[in-house]
Amino acid sequence: MNVIGYGLCVIGAALGIAIAANAVANSMARQPEMQGRLFTVFILASAFIEALCLIGFVVSIM
Amino acid sequence: MGDAFNQVSEEMGELIESFFTTPIFGDTTVGFTVTTFWFLLACILMLVVIFTYKKKMEGQLVPHGLFANGVEYLVDFVKNDICKGTLGDTWKVHFPFLATVFFVVMFGDYIGMLPTWKAGTGTTGITLAIALMSFCYFIYVGMKKKGVFGYIKSLAPAGLPAPIAAVVWVIELFSTFLRLVTLAVRLFCNMFTGHVVMGVFAIMATTFVQPMIAQFSVAALGTGAMSILWMVLLLLIYAVELMVAFIQAYIFTLLSAVYIQLAEAEGH
Repeated sequence: MNVIGYGLCVIGAALGIAIAANAVANSMARQPEMQGRLFTVFILASAFIEALCLIGFVVSIM
Repeated sequence: MGDAFNQVSEEMGELIESFFTTPIFGDTTVGFTVTTFWFLLACILMLVVIFTYKKKMEGQLVPHGLFANGVEYLVDFVKNDICKGTLGDTWKVHFPFLATVFFVVMFGDYIGMLPTWKAGTGTTGITLAIALMSFCYFIYVGMKKKGVFGYIKSLAPAGLPAPIAAVVWVIELFSTFLRLVTLAVRLFCNMFTGHVVMGVFAIMATTFVQPMIAQFSVAALGTGAMSILWMVLLLLIYAVELMVAFIQAYIFTLLSAVYIQLAEAEGH
């Protein structure tokens, strides 16, 4: 059960990071001069999403 | 190869057990634990680094050498990217607090990256303590700016009809206290899982090579070759963890800055 729960958690995080990466790739193509700033925003956003996934991992093994 | 996988899952429990904090004396509620020791060490290391930097910078404005430039870069990073970027005009007042939080969290994270050392921020107790400081600080800032009742009232945006304002106020109050929990849990989970994943790959690298050492055969050689793959993955995860340690310190400080900015903001 724990593993299934964690799997569901990963699906959510994967979708979230995919949407963020999609948006960043689009914006970089439109405005290459904003690349540095966009990368920071992307890393930040993915860290937030990833945190949810990691909470799932910790809950599933405890 | 199946045997090796079974052995790994047996050792998993032991590995996870070793990441939970154990008391040196007292117990985990009141007492001195292993994690407290590493956190204390991280704090001492931080003070040594900062005071060495201060001594080197005495009587000169431009930093010389790798060490002084490195510390200068980190301080500038907190000043420009976090303080000036989010806080605007009042960044000078909050800069000392935010820089302290950044350095404490960063050293607490990085001390766990050395082999056999443990992360100072690897337990909920310590991350909650740091989050509590940041929580009290932004509430204090808000209350100083708007008065005690002014701040409590300002949780709900002005200009709403009374019944809706009451509902929004309750939700905002809840989300304010949730900030404390999320700050602490985010940092703890990142450190804890990072070390568990690294530990699993390290165990895999050793168990897969064991049959080859015990008795040499072609099948054992195949299993042993797998451990090279685990080694490479371990190094990759290690590199990612080095990045995560820095990003988590950045996020912790950035969120504290955003909360301070929200507490200070005039009517939203």
